[in-house]
Amino acid sequence: MTETTVAEMRGMCKVFDGHPALDHVHFQLNAGEIHGLLGGNGAGKTTLMNILYGLYRADAGEIILRGQKVDIRSPKDAIRQDIGMVHQHFLQIESFTVAENVVLGTPIANPLRLDLKAAAMQIAALGEKFGLGIDPTARIETLSMGARQRVEILKALYRGAQILILDEPTTNLTPQEVEALFGIVQAMVRAGMSVVFITHKLREVLAVCDRITVLRDGKNVLTLRRDEASEEAFVRAMVGEELDVKHSIIFAGRTTIGTPRMPDQAPVLQVEGVSVSEAGVPVVKNCSFSVQAGEIFGIAGVAGNGQLPLAEAVMGIRPATQGRVLVFGQDVTALGTAGLLARGVAYVPEDRLRDGFLPGANVAQNLILGSHRDAPYARNGFLDWKTIFRVSRDLIAQYRIRTAGPTETGGNLSGGNIQRVLIARAFARPARLLVAHNPTRGLDIPSTEFVYSKLLERRARGEATLLISEDLDELLLLSDRIGVIYKGEMVGVLERDAFDRQALGRMMSGVRI
Amino acid sequence: MSPTELSFVIFVKLVMLSIVPYVLAGQGTMLGGRTGLFNVAQEGIMLVGASVGFLGGYLTGNIWIGIALAIAVGGLAGLGLAYFTTSLKMNQFVIGLAIFFFCVGLASLLYKVVIGVTLVPPLIPTLKEVPVPGLSRIPILGEIFFAQNWLVYFTILLSAALYWFLYRTRLGLELRSVGENPKAADSLGVNTTRMRYVTAIIGGMLMALAGAYLPMVYTGTYTADMVKGRGWLAIALTFFGGWSPHLIFFGALFFAGIEVLAFRVQVGGGGIPYQFLLMLPYLATLLVMMFAFRRARVPAFLGQNYDREKRTLA
Amino acid sequence: MSHLRMFERPAQPPFAIGLIRKILPYLLAIIASFAAAGIFIVAMGFDVLHAYATILGTSFRTPNGFVQTLLKFVPLLLQALAFTVPLAAGKFNIGGEGQMLVGAIGATAVGIGLKDLPAPVLLPLVLLMGVGFGAFWGLIPGWLLYRYQVNEILSTVLLNFVSFQLLNFIATEVWADSAAGHPTTVPIAAAGQLPMLIHNPPLNSGIILAVLVAAVIYLFTSRTVGGYELIATGANPRAAQVFGIDGRRLSLLALVLGGALAGLSGSIEVAGNQHRLIEGLQSNYLLLGIIIGLIAKGNNLAVPFVAFFIAVLEVGASAMQRTLMIPGEMVFIVEALVLLFVLLSDVIRRR
Repeated sequence: MTETTVAEMRGMCKVFDGHPALDHVHFQLNAGEIHGLLGGNGAGKTTLMNILYGLYRADAGEIILRGQKVDIRSPKDAIRQDIGMVHQHFLQIESFTVAENVVLGTPIANPLRLDLKAAAMQIAALGEKFGLGIDPTARIETLSMGARQRVEILKALYRGAQILILDEPTTNLTPQEVEALFGIVQAMVRAGMSVVFITHKLREVLAVCDRITVLRDGKNVLTLRRDEASEEAFVRAMVGEELDVKHSIIFAGRTTIGTPRMPDQAPVLQVEGVSVSEAGVPVVKNCSFSVQAGEIFGIAGVAGNGQLPLAEAVMGIRPATQGRVLVFGQDVTALGTAGLLARGVAYVPEDRLRDGFLPGANVAQNLILGSHRDAPYARNGFLDWKTIFRVSRDLIAQYRIRTAGPTETGGNLSGGNIQRVLIARAFARPARLLVAHNPTRGLDIPSTEFVYSKLLERRARGEATLLISEDLDELLLLSDRIGVIYKGEMVGVLERDAFDRQALGRMMSGVRI
Repeated sequence: MSPTELSFVIFVKLVMLSIVPYVLAGQGTMLGGRTGLFNVAQEGIMLVGASVGFLGGYLTGNIWIGIALAIAVGGLAGLGLAYFTTSLKMNQFVIGLAIFFFCVGLASLLYKVVIGVTLVPPLIPTLKEVPVPGLSRIPILGEIFFAQNWLVYFTILLSAALYWFLYRTRLGLELRSVGENPKAADSLGVNTTRMRYVTAIIGGMLMALAGAYLPMVYTGTYTADMVKGRGWLAIALTFFGGWSPHLIFFGALFFAGIEVLAFRVQVGGGGIPYQFLLMLPYLATLLVMMFAFRRARVPAFLGQNYDREKRTLA
Repeated sequence: MSHLRMFERPAQPPFAIGLIRKILPYLLAIIASFAAAGIFIVAMGFDVLHAYATILGTSFRTPNGFVQTLLKFVPLLLQALAFTVPLAAGKFNIGGEGQMLVGAIGATAVGIGLKDLPAPVLLPLVLLMGVGFGAFWGLIPGWLLYRYQVNEILSTVLLNFVSFQLLNFIATEVWADSAAGHPTTVPIAAAGQLPMLIHNPPLNSGIILAVLVAAVIYLFTSRTVGGYELIATGANPRAAQVFGIDGRRLSLLALVLGGALAGLSGSIEVAGNQHRLIEGLQSNYLLLGIIIGLIAKGNNLAVPFVAFFIAVLEVGASAMQRTLMIPGEMVFIVEALVLLFVLLSDVIRRR
């Protein structure tokens, strides 16, 4: 088969708030290939593809589709050019049905009618063809994450997409679902489509991609056929000089966390039969586990299986309908968040923008959130701004937060820097227990490495960590034990020497061990 | 008809007459809100609508010209809201309050410039009853529903049309999607900006029409305090109605009912100081809000601006 | 309505550095709005320079003009704070007018009902009663929000209309002054009145109280843990809650505090200015309070300056209406334009 180029992007540049996100990036997609776009967070992968999909406007560069120079001003233009994109955070309207979500925005013969029957049949047929298995009349909010992702793919297929961009499509899937997804993608390519596969996981691109382009810090590093280079070459390309790959935690085998756990250590956190309800519906059911001193206890699960309510029940943010939470043997179920923070419990919430950040306040105000009542920041109810600014400047330097200074408005920071603020806040004071929920989400590779090293330092110091993560690799790397949560229930707990990706994947889809 | 029957018919008829400003302002609020744009300038836009409508009617002798002018001014207010929030990404509540303020000033200014200070307030003709041939002869119902002015008919038809439009058409589906998740809508090629502009402008027009109705239906005069909180009540109504056109229409019956009731008891005497009767619409609304607010279904992106290139939604 | 992003909050203490940079947009906004409003005035066929000389000059040309300005400044300052304090927590208090009137009712009730008490007892009582009644009027929407999640914009604004009727009832049925042609009560006891600072033109000591209160409010919001928690709640109520701040309780307290500030303006109006309850006492203070708060972008240090500027405009506007027959409402347009241009300067700076 001769290779024809279906899409090419030349000299793409994009600046966000003064920070260059793309610097003369080149990208070329062949017909009928799966092209992996690899790089750490903040490398510019999503930005590049958002430009191709018309969500962002490039500051410079040109796009050539099927030999023609085109101007893509909006997603509408991209759709017209048969480009489809599945976003990492599903862009769906939860109160609408699948069919309503799928037909939304498609060219309308008669805008004053709403005939979804024909559309529903077409959707069902498409689903059958690619093995998607979706009921078009189901409401989005009732679907699992895997099904919701297939709806996203359906949306693109329904519009007749020939070029499909998948942005970190495996984030919300179990290992088994990932395999099924790869099958679907391969079926689409056989049907003549071309696929761009964005990911930060090398293992995944190596599994399915024909060619791989690596981006780092908004620049091209390399583009190679999958079989042209070794795994190590791709790792080097992703990481660059900044990180010593040989001594890194991320790229190491998984035996490096240190001395094995001592099972007889005193429990720091005990969760006993905790249940949580949301608007009357139980979302956490009778969960029990404990975290010991000097242990990293991981909780795995597909997003939305009760991790958030569980974390918030532990932190006293929402009440448990049943059961109790003990910290150092003391019942803290009714203590409240402020009390827990005062006792030296630190928290990194999952959704940094929603739950962890004050966009209208400045960086210093953000760094003291939660510690603002205590010395050295406050005395007798009055804030000591001098100390706050001094500590803030230290933290900004130590955690490499890219900002003009403590008085800069928080909302000006990029996502990764906001995450660094959250991390700095949690690590700024000694915490005997840390509850960290997706702590490395949105961080680039060196910063992720930094957080991992901090977590392992805690472990070495004998401090306890509850690590809730939707990144199974992260958990496999760092945890002493992993508990799996499915639909609000603890399906089981595995010890480090029994870790097995496939077994964990089965547990994540509800299979008990 | 017996006297009690008669007074009941008159009561319901007055209620139908009085729902007009509530429904129009409520539907205007709902339309914008369904695309995520929350207008809080109703009270001001209604007042400027009343002022412009009155002055237009007064100067030309034709109240329909007044109504047309009021609608135009309301459309401009909506356009301003859309521009500052959707294009310039400024806080919707702050801009809404600024427009409220601006409209209150403009309403009084225009009246003073055109009329000045007079001892006897100038008058304009009021809206006439236009009985529907045939239907208005139906006993009781005919008198209540089919012997009303044009704007009552318009209000009923508009509410029905909006219901059909929002839930039974593709365009309505697209409109609702913008208020639920503008990014999703945008990623599918729905023009969110245009949607917000159009609904803001039509919403402003409806609010101004609601205001223009006031001097034209009751007294034929304009006073600076004639809106009496109806604009704010319309927001409350929109929440009760779960941002749905049909429920807003039925909810307005409650608001208009209380208003008419308070007025009639006041006229009839009855020992209660009239001031307390006049508090009734506001107190009743507060009371209902206690129970309705938690359950009210609200468009997910109500009050939030959407910026395509903003990576952090805050 | 949770993710309200208010204004870009200015950086905390280093204040002196960017003073000029902060004031410059204001000056430009004022000039731009006067220019824009000037077009209106010319179009109506008036002498624009004369009009502006009157608007800006009246307050400074005569002692009487200046005192008039100070008398306007007091209620405007307190009304603006009644708006900005809850605003810090992301809550819109549109009920300052009602809280002022109810405060005035409380002050009047004590001033008339306990008229035999000596001044050292009665005067503080009159003031405190106004504060207490205003706080109560702020407590109602606060509690409705806390307990039933009732939108505070609606509940505060609706209570204004209730307070109008309440005042009318008191002034026509309870302590009516039958000699007045307008709903008015009889005067409160002399012992309940604020002492005068100057007798001619008359200036009461309410201004000292108001400025003191404004200073305390500023210190509270910028230097205390409570003020920080208020701002955190306003910036992101979810995040504040996640880090142990009880935003619901704070919002309730902020609305009560707002009510108390508005109530104080009511009692100063009664004890210092009118010495009785008069219908229409509130004039346009609510709207002006809101616009002052918004022009100051919620910054409690800027509020007194903006309030003074608006007081100058208001006094100038009445003079303009008297001497030049230009409707005083013209100044509303100017004020709205100032707000608009100040907000626009933020947008421009962001780009």
